[in-house]
Formats: sequence, C-alpha cells, structure tokens
Amino acid sequence: MSGVSTGPVRRGGAGRALAAGLGRAVATALLMAAVLTVVWVASVALVDNTFVAKGPAEVYEFLVTADDAATTRAQLGTALGVTLGDAAIGFVAGMLAATLAAALIVLSRPVETAVMPVALILRAVPLIALTPIIRLLFTDEVVRVAVVSGIVVLFPALVNIVQGLRSVSAQLTDVVHVYGGGPVALLFRVAFPSALPALFASVRISVPGAITGALLAEWLITGEGIGSMVVNAVGRSENNLVWACVLVVTLASLVLYLAAQIIESFVLARYGRS
Amino acid sequence: MMLSRPGRALRLTAVAAAASLALAACGSGDDAPAEGEGLGDLTVQLSWIKNAEFAGEFMADSKGYYADAGFGDVTFNAGPGATENLVASGKADFGLTNAVTVGQVVANEDAPIKIVGTTFQKNPFTILSLKDGANIETVEDLKGKKIGVQDGGNGLLFAALLAANGLTEDDVEIVPVQYDPQPLVNGEVDGFLAYVTNESIIVSSQGEEVTNLLFADNGLPFVAESVIATDETIAERPEAVKAFLEAEIKGWTDACADLEEGARLAVEEYGADQDLDLAKEVEQNTIQCEELINTDETAENGIFTISDELLAQNMATFEAAGIDATQEDVFDLSLLQELLDEQPELKG
Repeated sequence: MSGVSTGPVRRGGAGRALAAGLGRAVATALLMAAVLTVVWVASVALVDNTFVAKGPAEVYEFLVTADDAATTRAQLGTALGVTLGDAAIGFVAGMLAATLAAALIVLSRPVETAVMPVALILRAVPLIALTPIIRLLFTDEVVRVAVVSGIVVLFPALVNIVQGLRSVSAQLTDVVHVYGGGPVALLFRVAFPSALPALFASVRISVPGAITGALLAEWLITGEGIGSMVVNAVGRSENNLVWACVLVVTLASLVLYLAAQIIESFVLARYGRS
Repeated sequence: MMLSRPGRALRLTAVAAAASLALAACGSGDDAPAEGEGLGDLTVQLSWIKNAEFAGEFMADSKGYYADAGFGDVTFNAGPGATENLVASGKADFGLTNAVTVGQVVANEDAPIKIVGTTFQKNPFTILSLKDGANIETVEDLKGKKIGVQDGGNGLLFAALLAANGLTEDDVEIVPVQYDPQPLVNGEVDGFLAYVTNESIIVSSQGEEVTNLLFADNGLPFVAESVIATDETIAERPEAVKAFLEAEIKGWTDACADLEEGARLAVEEYGADQDLDLAKEVEQNTIQCEELINTDETAENGIFTISDELLAQNMATFEAAGIDATQEDVFDLSLLQELLDEQPELKG
C-alpha cells in the first residue's frame, strides 16, 4: 500500500505494464495448457477404459478429422455462444449485486449483519435445491439465469470487495474528513480506488465462477448451451462430446481469465499500482 | 522474477506428472473381480432410486439367491445415472436400462454392451398429463405443448417417440425438468415424461386425475429394465452372466408371487432412506408384475426371455425411431437360453 495515488499517472508506465501483463498472461497460458495436458493424458491412462476416457488424440479426431467434425464444431460453437451469453448475464448480475452490497455493508454495520448471512446461505444451499424456488419466483428466463449464475459469482466477489473497501489507510480517511467529506465521499473518492486490486481479484475469480453458474443454469433451467449439452451427452454415453464440451469450456474460461488479468494489470498501472 | 518462472513451471509440471504416475500405479488392477472364491463381488447399476421397481433384486439379495449363484458381496447402485456408461466402464457388472437407450448408445457410440435378458416385456414410459390440464391422450395432442423431459437417456426416448410418430422437436416445447413431477402439478409443463408405474401413481395419489400417453401404445414398444453386460463380460465370464440371470429370475418369481413382501423390502430395508409409501409401492409392484413382467409369452418361455416376435417388435421400434443398430448389435440372449436349457425349472 505504499505510494497510493488515486488519479491516472504515467502513461508510459501503463504501456510497459500492459506489455508485461501480456507476457505474463501468455506464460501463464502455456503453463496451464501444459499442466492440463499432462493431467488429462495421465488421467486417461489411469482410467484405462477407451469407451469412457478419451484422450487429446481422440478429441482431436472427433473435432477435426472425423467426417462430421464440421457439424460437431458448429454445434459446439453455437452452444458455447449461448453459454458465454449466460455467463455474461451472471457475471454482470453477480458483480453488480456484490459491488452494491459491499458499498452498503461498508457504509453500515447493520446491513452487514443482514446481508452476509443471506449471501452465505445462497452459496451454501446447493443450487439444485434452490431451483424450484427460483422457478416459482421468477418467470423470465433471463432473470432466472441471472439469479442462478449470479449466486455463484456473488459471495466470493462480495467478500473480496468488502475487504478491499475496508483497506483504506487511516491517513487518507483523515484527509477526507479534514476536508469535510462524509462516509459517502470517503467511499467514492478513496475506498473504491483503494479497492481496485480487490475488485480485479474478484473479477478474475468471478469469470470462471460465472461460467460455472451459466452451466448450472443451463442444466437446471434453460436446457440450452454447453451446460445442457454436457449432461445430455453423459446420459447418452456420447463420451467424445463430453470431453469436447469440457475442453471447450476449459479453454474459454482460461482465455477469459487471462483477459481479465491483462485488463487488470493495465488498469492498475494507470492507477499507479502495478 | 521472470527468470524464476520456467523453473517453477517445470517443478509444477514434474510434480503433477509424478503424482499422476503414482496414482496410475495404485490404480491398476482395481477393476478385476476378486479372484479365488466363486464369481467375485457383484455390483448392479439400477435405473432408479431403490423403490419397488427393484422388488425382484431386493428379494434375490435378501433370500441369498445371488450368494447361492456364486457371488460375494452385492452392491446396488441407485440411479438414475448413465447406466450404459457405468457398465461399459466397469463401474458396475450389470445394469438395468431399456432397449431404445442401449440401441442409441450402441449405434452412435459403438458401446461394447448388450442386453442379455429383460425384466419388463413392455416399457412403462408415458407422457403423463393432468385430466384437468392439457389431457394429452393422443400423439396429436402433443403438438405445441410444453413437455418436461429429463436430461440424458430420457431425452433420447422422447426424441424416439417423436420420430416414431412423424413429429420433430419443433412441434413441441421441451422443458428441462428433474424427476420430481411437481412442475406438472404446478402447471409449469403440460406433459411430463414418467413411468406409468411410478410418477403416474404418485400424482394420482395426490388427488389429481391423470392421463397417460403410453410409449408402448404409440409406435414405441420396447423392452425395459433390461439387463446389460459388456461384451467382455459375456465373452470372458459367461458363468457370471448366467448366475446373475438365474438369481434375477428367482428373485422376480418370488417378488411377483408375494407382491407385498417385494414392496416391503423396498420400503423398510433397501430404500428405507427414501421415505417410500407402502401402499404406492405395493401398487407399483402389482402393476409391473401383472402387466409388464408376466405376459402370455413369459408364461410359456419363462420370465426375462424375449420372444422372437417381441425382438422383431423392438427392431421395428428402432427403425421407426431412426436407430441404426441390428438385433445382434444390441441383444445377446444365448446365455439366457443356455441357462433355461440347463435349468428348465426356472421357466416356472
């Protein structure tokens, strides 16, 4: 927390940070891809059953060289588009709810005692058990998706952002108070900029969370997208498709996570926090 | 900072690789049946929760028929799950499923599994609706309706029903549901894919008058609660297949002779944690024994058999549903026949 400044500074610094962030992201991507491939190949060898366990070679054949590979890819692409859309809905809903709730919590202790247990319960009760209630409460499909996927995003983001908002240094609080600022001014002028690292940490956690939430929503409610495709494929013993779905979703999560990381390093550099 | 990264990456990868190798070393040989005594332990993958649908299996276990046939410990894994996958991957020795799902999985995925006998001669699948609601009596009534269909195998069955009746998925609205028929009672769906021997009874016991559109009466007759085993089991452990069928036949003969006892075993012992209702389970066992398991043909050939006529009917269903599998791909009844030739008293 040294040298905190709250305005945009040093454009060159931001550029360098962006380049460094890109480099880091590429390195992370390669490392993750290597680890995932090793784990994949090893677990296929471990299961030792060619009907169920499909390795990278089988999935490559299924997606690239097989006769109907183009159709498969088109179906997977459509489903992935739906899932990314659902994940975006969940991400926006969850992050907005988390940010709003965090701001209220920081402004008022009673709100914390009221909101935190609810957030915890929403996360602790399995969504499959909440689904019938969500179905009855909301009729609109988009709202249902936002709720199911948003619940997955909400809690970790909330905890992180509250932590971030509370990390304001005493000196800065004093400065705001000296100039006659109240709690709201403190929140917007100091606490939110101070919470940026925490906010971005929760963005990074929330991106895969939103995808998980979207998959759940698709399984439990909409019957579309990868979430529905994968459970159907499991039930129908379409094991190549199962592995292809897992691969596609994993890659999508990875790419989005890295994108969040790059944006994070850029924005934090602009605020002098790289 | 950047310099240390490749080092860390390498270490991580090495650890991951070492861990997987260690796991692989412990894992090998786990799936083989216990050697030495008899036929080893037995794992059966059920198609549903432990209710009276498996009265015969519970009877066979409680009376020791599996043990008499040479098996060690018996494990029943409750469904619903991907039975074909679980059997094909060796997680269960035998599974209970139906001809259409097996046919699709064999045709589409070359699953190395076959049906070796069947409990139900006629399938109990139905589109359940409320008399006061959509009242779906004919296939024509399905058009434009919201139908609750569970994921996986049941989706395949519903697609087959549509195909056999010249409809497509555009003619209806498929709503994803779980197995609880509440969405039907709430009016969220017009029809609900169900068992005429289970959900249909549950919903009518709640005071609702129900309508059933039976798959078997609407272009889709096929056998169900059929026993599947892998090609490997059939080829390398034929004695285990015969022993299992023998115990099954004895168990179901008893369960249908004493309808109450079969249901009681489900309610009080095997499915005690399922909060089952005895009257409903007795009714289920009665209907399945009288209408699905025992027919004129089984009176002559014995239960679990599939007559040539019924086989032909199943193949016609495959054709109507667009399932590209031959009889030999899906059915292997030779071991059942051998068993009945050796022990004709099993025919009852």
